[in-house]
Amino acid sequence: MSLPARVATLVVAFLAVVAGVLWVVFDIIGAQPQTENYMPYAQGGQVNVTMMTAAQTTVTNKPDWVTYFIQNPSTKQFDHTTYFAVPANTTVNVTILGYDGCTPLRNPLWGKVAGTTGNVENVQYYNGKTLSASQALTTFNSWANCAVQHTFAIPGLGLNVPIASPTTVAENNNLCGTSPCVAPADAGSPHTVVKFSFKTPGTPGSYRWQCFVPCGLGYVDGNGGPMSTPGYMAGEMEVQA
Amino acid sequence: MATEALTPGSGARSGRNDAAWLLTIWIVLSIIGCLLVALVWGPHMPPGRASVQAASQATDITVLGTIATPVVIGVLLYFGWALAFWRQQPGDETDAAPLHGNVKVQTTWIAGTSAIVLALAVYGTVELINPAGAGAGQGPQPVFRNGMPPAASATSWAPGTNNILQVQVIGQQWAWTFRYPQFGGFETTQLVIPVNQPVQFNVTSLDVIHSFWAYTLGVKADANPGVNNVAYTTATVTGDFQVRCDELCGIWHGSMYDTGQVMSVSGFLAWTKTTAATMAGVTKMLPPYALTYDPTTLNLGKVNAALGLTGAGGGYYNPADPEQP
Repeated sequence: MSLPARVATLVVAFLAVVAGVLWVVFDIIGAQPQTENYMPYAQGGQVNVTMMTAAQTTVTNKPDWVTYFIQNPSTKQFDHTTYFAVPANTTVNVTILGYDGCTPLRNPLWGKVAGTTGNVENVQYYNGKTLSASQALTTFNSWANCAVQHTFAIPGLGLNVPIASPTTVAENNNLCGTSPCVAPADAGSPHTVVKFSFKTPGTPGSYRWQCFVPCGLGYVDGNGGPMSTPGYMAGEMEVQA
Repeated sequence: MATEALTPGSGARSGRNDAAWLLTIWIVLSIIGCLLVALVWGPHMPPGRASVQAASQATDITVLGTIATPVVIGVLLYFGWALAFWRQQPGDETDAAPLHGNVKVQTTWIAGTSAIVLALAVYGTVELINPAGAGAGQGPQPVFRNGMPPAASATSWAPGTNNILQVQVIGQQWAWTFRYPQFGGFETTQLVIPVNQPVQFNVTSLDVIHSFWAYTLGVKADANPGVNNVAYTTATVTGDFQVRCDELCGIWHGSMYDTGQVMSVSGFLAWTKTTAATMAGVTKMLPPYALTYDPTTLNLGKVNAALGLTGAGGGYYNPADPEQP
């Protein structure tokens, strides 16, 4: 092989290795999802945060992964992220629109509401036609009933909120098919509206949150894929001073 | 002979008795070092003395450290002496004195090291059985029970009896939960144990392999799905202790920690009463207490069965799924 050919081969091989490393770094490891900044929207010691769960993530290259969305407080659009920033020592009023179907909890303990104001969550069910009255619930039995789709848990704060699911087989078979589930295509799909409040700690810091339903379908123990990828079923709440 | 073997360089030429110097310095430094390790460093040896098992482990580490001190000092002293006095002088191109076998040195070395190793083997074996053997992960029937009797009752407990307190440790991605079968079987995210009472941890997992590590209690046991690993402790100091996962278990492994609490017996009994009442609503939804749980074969309700779900999370090890790792 001639010298120019050897040099060219070496350069190509080097570039291939560099490209592989860059691909691993940026496509597999990936960058942290964007953070929805609710800091400027806090008033009177309270801030309202709205999220959404969906059975799929059609806005990404993982369309069959379940996911959370968080509403951008400025544009009111639901962004594909699980990172948000809130002020310290503030009551966070959370609304979660639950558009996914039910899945049993692996550990029924996570069916108990904990760490919220009054240790309750308020749930409304929309069956595709009507929205039920709000119910204050403290415990869900996901083994006996089609009751829970995901959880929103911040272990560092002792917070655990089961996200109620549409209640019947018919509703589970008629879930929204694109995400985020917004008008006009999917706003009429069966879903739940879960509301709860909790207080952020006085000390700034990052608090990770996760879902305790093993909803990574197709992955070992259901805890791979979206369960192990920030931006889907895991994220962080940034508490700022 | 010994002097010749220990003085490869200038010592012999200068008339300095290196062996005598080395032996004297080694004895003096060893005495000082052993006293420092045993009396000054020893009380601060990990994992501390918050439980009988931890204290025993700290004592073992102190003993081992004290025994190792003369060896370490001997090696470092000989190394330093060689650097200081036996280095080749500028312009000196002569060979060092030839080495010859020395029966006394070799016999002393073999006898000394054999005695140390055998003594440590005996000491370690005795300590493994009692009291340091915390039964860390030998399965449901540990060979070394640390003097702990089998639980006389799985459904009740009273302090000061032969009925050891049972605490089930359940690992899951990514949190620890704890179940108390002798108090109605409630489960909680809090780990609380009474002071001066033997505790048997039954450690298992609902998904991947975790490792229950209550460092300051001297307890560490793998949490394997489908396996019950037993470990024992008797806390001797009230207050908080840290629990960590010591087995890489996924994205939030580093956050899988808890703060446990050692309470007075009366405080513990009050806590169990309060917690059992608080958790009563969810306790009745828990599966019957068992040493292991199989989440793939749950007794699911009719609605979930109608949805085609066979276990919590569904989709376990589905070979048809292209995303199966």
